[in-house]
Amino acid sequence: MAINERTDPLTRTFAALADPTRRAILARLASGDADVSELMKPFALSQPTISKHLLVLERAGLVARGRDAQRRPRTLVAVPLKSIAEWVEAYRHFWEQKFASLDHYLRDLQKKEKRHARSKR
Amino acid sequence: MRAASDKERPVENTRSASVTTPSDREIVITRAFNAPRTIVFDAWTKAEHVAHWWDPSGAPLAVCEIDLRPTGAFRFVHGGPDGTKHPFAGIYREISAPARLVFTTRNSPSGAESVGTLVFSEHAGKTTLTMTIECESMADRDAMLKMGVVAGTTRTLDNLDEYLRAIG
Repeated sequence: MAINERTDPLTRTFAALADPTRRAILARLASGDADVSELMKPFALSQPTISKHLLVLERAGLVARGRDAQRRPRTLVAVPLKSIAEWVEAYRHFWEQKFASLDHYLRDLQKKEKRHARSKR
Repeated sequence: MRAASDKERPVENTRSASVTTPSDREIVITRAFNAPRTIVFDAWTKAEHVAHWWDPSGAPLAVCEIDLRPTGAFRFVHGGPDGTKHPFAGIYREISAPARLVFTTRNSPSGAESVGTLVFSEHAGKTTLTMTIECESMADRDAMLKMGVVAGTTRTLDNLDEYLRAIG
């Protein structure tokens, strides 16, 4: 995936999150630091593939390299995720209000339909 | 962290909507409803229904126009001072009752067109609605998500609480 370096950090974060493997890597790192070989195991992916995904995540500021020079463990950086989570949550809330309203309406509608089933058909 | 959550999570576990961003230009919202899909589809496509649920405050829409045919227009306008400023309007592209509804809108802040695809799937009398919003670019998609923040602050949680009390 080509990443435009001129785009703003949030766009880069979104681009990094657009891939299911990268989301899974982040989920794994959320439970603790891991190096490349530890990340290879659960995903059954080659080392270059994992490294490529990690590079995208590092450029997006979502993953940092730990101090241990031998193991080079990767660690999750949650700050960029927070602003995205806030956007997505607000957007979800916007629709959930409508859906809760629809839910209630559907309940009423079905009650009415049951009540008038005989007279309708 | 919802943004990083996987889109494969089953929606049946929760009644509330889940949102994912599976690609650069898409937003996918999934929600289950306790009704057969013919009814849910009607609720989305008949003016007499939409007018009564689109505004979460419970007030009927001031304007609810639906011309349900490909290239037909729709326009939903809330009552109140903010309504005319933020109508939900667009053009139908594909109508396959009760399974699928596709429309285009220009509701994003940039005025760019986005395509909304609603898929209604039924299982054991319950309907799962999957709404995909496909934007022209990643920037538009992000602007659309940001708009949710604006909408979320104008229509506060207090309003929702009030509404839930009123219907409960």
